[in-house]
Amino acid sequence: MVKFLKPNKAVIVLQGRYAGRKAVIVKSFDEGTRDRPYGHCLVAGIKKYPSKVIRKDSAKKTAKKSRVKCFVKLVNHQHLMPTRYTLDVDLKDVVSVDALQTKDKKVAACKATKERFEERFKTGKNRWFFTKLRF
Amino acid sequence: MVAAKKTKKTHESINNRLALVMKSGKYTLGYKTVLKSLRNSKGKLIIIANNCPPLRKSEIEYYAMLCKVGVHHYNGNNVDLGTACGKYFRVCCLGIINPGDSDIINSVPGDH
Repeated sequence: MVKFLKPNKAVIVLQGRYAGRKAVIVKSFDEGTRDRPYGHCLVAGIKKYPSKVIRKDSAKKTAKKSRVKCFVKLVNHQHLMPTRYTLDVDLKDVVSVDALQTKDKKVAACKATKERFEERFKTGKNRWFFTKLRF
Repeated sequence: MVAAKKTKKTHESINNRLALVMKSGKYTLGYKTVLKSLRNSKGKLIIIANNCPPLRKSEIEYYAMLCKVGVHHYNGNNVDLGTACGKYFRVCCLGIINPGDSDIINSVPGDH
């Protein structure tokens, strides 16, 4: 009775090229739109997880290991597995549906989410989100 | 001895309430539609048969936990649940959207 497919919810993508990747809901279209007459979400997720950083690493190595590669996608609700975790990273201004129209807008959106994800990873919070799901 | 008798009586009452929901309320049968009803927060109570595969059962329970919706584990397998719904097919999970005249939502999720 409580809606849970809300912005900032961490989800796992189940189908497609990004199956098994963790993502965060940026915007949810419960009723669907004219082009997509089903419930779907705009998600921003991790294409390539950051590696494990150990204390021994030099600054250059930690910088290289903390890199995150992102994707932005519209996904059907059926192809998402919601989790109890949330990730409050403000992506509303950066990621939007019209960012998906052209290739360079999409690249710019991915770059901006990459920066936000990387700075969140470096603080050490939301550790679950940045670890790879083993299956 | 007393416990067995009590479960038989409550089991029959669940069947009665379910029959009333089938007649007067709104429900969905089947795993896909149950998940849909949980996603758009229309479901009010979920009933799962006892021979539901454990992965599917835990998935439905997880969705219901996120939704704060009660889950009732029916005392019977999917054949029995289908019969209790008055259908001639097996029903592994069903979601009640609108209980109609029945009080199943208030009375049943006591045992979860």
